[in-house]
Amino acid sequence: MNDVLVGRALTKRFGQTVALGGVDITVRAGEAVAIMGPSGSGKSTLLHCLAGIMKPDGGEVHLLGRRIDAMGERGRSQLRRTRFGFVFQFGQLLPELPAEENVALPLMLGGVPRVQAVRQAREWFGPLGLRSMETRRPGELSGGQAQRVAIARALVTRPAVVFADEPTGALDQQTGQETMRLLVESTKHNDASLIVVTHDPNVAAWCDRTVEVRDGRLLESGALA
Amino acid sequence: MNLELTWRLLRGGGRGGLLGTWLTLGAVAVATALLLFAVAANSAFQARTERGAWRNPVPAASGAVAVEASRFDFVRDRAITVVDLAALPGRAPAPPPGLPRFPAPGEVWLSPALAGLARDLPAAELAGRYPDPEGVLGDAALVHPGELVAVVGHEPDAPALTAGRTDDWVVARPPVKVASLAGQPGEDAQAYQVLSLIASVLMVVPLLVFGGAAARLTVARRDRRLAALRLVGATPGQIVAMTVAEAVIVALAGALAGAVVFALAVPLLAGIEMQGGPWFTADLFPGPLVLAGGLVAVPLLVGLSAVAGLRRVVVSPLGVAKRETPPAMRFVRVLALLAVLAAFPLLTRGTSVAVIVVALALAFLCVNLAGPWVVGMIGRITAAGARGPARLLAGRRLVDDPRAAWRTVSGVALTGFVAGFLGLLSPSALDGDAAGPLQLRVTAPAGQAERTAELARTRLRDAGVPATVRPVKDVVVAALGSSADPAALDRARTALAGIVPGRTPTTGHDDRRFGTQILADVRVGTIVVLSVSFLVAIASAGITATSSVLDRRQTYGLLRLAGTPLEVLDRARRAETLIPLTVMGGGAILTGAFCAVPFMIGGVSLVGVLTLAGCVVAGFAGVIGAGALSRPLLRSVTTDPAPRPD
Ligand SMILES: Nc1ncnc2c1ncn2[C@@H]1O[C@H](COP(=O)(O)OP(=O)(O)O)[C@@H](O)[C@H]1O
Ligand SMILES: [Mg+2]
Repeated sequence: MNDVLVGRALTKRFGQTVALGGVDITVRAGEAVAIMGPSGSGKSTLLHCLAGIMKPDGGEVHLLGRRIDAMGERGRSQLRRTRFGFVFQFGQLLPELPAEENVALPLMLGGVPRVQAVRQAREWFGPLGLRSMETRRPGELSGGQAQRVAIARALVTRPAVVFADEPTGALDQQTGQETMRLLVESTKHNDASLIVVTHDPNVAAWCDRTVEVRDGRLLESGALA
Repeated sequence: MNLELTWRLLRGGGRGGLLGTWLTLGAVAVATALLLFAVAANSAFQARTERGAWRNPVPAASGAVAVEASRFDFVRDRAITVVDLAALPGRAPAPPPGLPRFPAPGEVWLSPALAGLARDLPAAELAGRYPDPEGVLGDAALVHPGELVAVVGHEPDAPALTAGRTDDWVVARPPVKVASLAGQPGEDAQAYQVLSLIASVLMVVPLLVFGGAAARLTVARRDRRLAALRLVGATPGQIVAMTVAEAVIVALAGALAGAVVFALAVPLLAGIEMQGGPWFTADLFPGPLVLAGGLVAVPLLVGLSAVAGLRRVVVSPLGVAKRETPPAMRFVRVLALLAVLAAFPLLTRGTSVAVIVVALALAFLCVNLAGPWVVGMIGRITAAGARGPARLLAGRRLVDDPRAAWRTVSGVALTGFVAGFLGLLSPSALDGDAAGPLQLRVTAPAGQAERTAELARTRLRDAGVPATVRPVKDVVVAALGSSADPAALDRARTALAGIVPGRTPTTGHDDRRFGTQILADVRVGTIVVLSVSFLVAIASAGITATSSVLDRRQTYGLLRLAGTPLEVLDRARRAETLIPLTVMGGGAILTGAFCAVPFMIGGVSLVGVLTLAGCVVAGFAGVIGAGALSRPLLRSVTTDPAPRPD
């Protein structure tokens, strides 16, 4: 019953390429799941299908018991804005906005008045170790700091699920570990589920469990951490 | 090896890179075409000056071979240039341009248009003045095709060449003994050349802003690819060489395309009537040297601009192009140089013109200096007052890169300045031509007013033109009455032709001809300059909007993945242009109007104000439209579900 996000028999092809060949996956409330696999195995495609970015060719996706893969682009777009959070490898922050406004943007898009949105956004800076970074712009932040701002932005709308595609891909090992710690801790603290796509076992180790993707299929359910 | 790499760099840029290359090519083409037009306008007026020089005799210091005089005659609403010529006894002067031989006494030569008109109109209206034409003048004799010119041969002691004439070049040129018919530039032609020079400055300034932006476009988008190249071991020198080579190749192609576009447009441009007629197409083509110079200079400037642009991009091998504050605009220096260059030859011509041009250039300089700063201020205010995300994004964007926004609006802002300046400058004389009583006046030789009046009375009666003729001091006035139509007027003119040797009976309207003509031409010129400026502004707006989508396609794509509605991004992009456009367009018009105040002679012109309003509306519509063109690109760029850095 506490299954938050369920994907059933998901298939997706790009021309001749079978990116997903029938994937079943269940993510429970507050759970952190790592999706691992070699490059081109279909990890990102799976994430995109689960997050409503892409419509799968076959199969279903349910969020809290509601089917979302059949929704129109508008509905899915709104869903992504309100129920999901995203952390990408890099380049997701608008360079001209100060960090706090980058974080406040999803709230403002949801109609929260600007002053309130910025105040809410600021509350995330302390816990993520970004104190006094509020008015810096992305160009003035280190890679790790920028990813933490991205984490704040993903969580500020209190989403049900946070999707992260190679969130540490552009960071060095140590900063990557620190970023993963903050990502996992803060999603758990907010009762959000986390799906992390990575090819790095050290990153996957932060998650509760790992699923392996090979040629668009799940290999096995990884052991519980 | 470098060339080969460059070629691959050119072709391997992916869809976005290719589009960027096409944009640069298009921008350079537009800039080159308009630049050629600005140059051609000047050489065209120069050509007209040279064409008309032979009618403006230079008194011979020694070795006179002929006597030359000229005056204006009129038919319907058009002026006829009448040149009276006589060979001095025992001399055989070379023929004037367009004539096979020097006209013998009594011979009349007409330009093709005048000959045609003389055939079409009743003889009593025109042909009677120029009986039995000997032949037709060639194009070399004419300032423009369709010009009305008559050349009349005389004995050197003929009254037409001995009687005094008004020494006012607007009306006539008195007889002069000349050593040749080479002549000299006429005052009117020189006035037009100065005006065309001012028009060129007005066109070239927005063109430079635009061209500079276009050149930087090639470089700006190369950050990541350059970083990738450095990663595989290319030296900074190689990268600079490749980038510049690429920019120059693209610019050369663009310049060639622009030259072709200009050549194709020449027949259309030749139809723009100035000084009472269209143009010889040959006059509109700048010389091959100028053309070649343009084709070399444009790619060279783009290459230099590319180097300057590259220096601003600090490429780190990790692929993160660090943003650094660009140094103070070099463009200012270019403008200052331009102002000095423009002022220098003018200082020798007459101080008032130099003052106008320098004032204009200085005002432009100020507008351009202040532009980005004002855009930044506008952005700060917009961001501070924003409640929704779109305005916040727009405001922050303006603060972040005011120069980019300035490039977009600078065309219209400068055009607004031009429009404000010229729109109000146009004197109102043209708007209403107070129609007085229709009368022909001619100054009689001293003491012969009564006798001339009597002769005029007889001639008009014989011609069947009702008129009351009376002498007023030296001037014989023939009032034609309110029932006279243009045909009756021309019958009267024909009847009175030659009544005073060397003088033309004229109406008040005829006497104001030069002023009326130059005002009409200034208005045409204003419209041409405005059109050019708008073309620049619209092209620049479209290109800037498109390149900004290309530049941030990754961020836009990721924002869309995270559920940001595209409408918000679109609204932000629109506001980003419209807010500074509204503030600065209006500001520029006011600045222009303010600068025009010292030069305002004939009060504010209603037509000018209406033209101005039309231009503002057209400018806004054009810029909004050009910005909207990149909307499908934004859509397609952000639809890619997995945007990857290329
Ligand atoms: N938009 C697309 N168009 C065509 N093929 C695609 C597209 N996206 C992914 N693919 C292909 O689908 C397969 C899986 O891709 P992806 O899910 O991105 O793999 P991963 O994230 O595991 O590296 C790959 O073979 C890739 O080339
Ligand atoms: Mg991937």
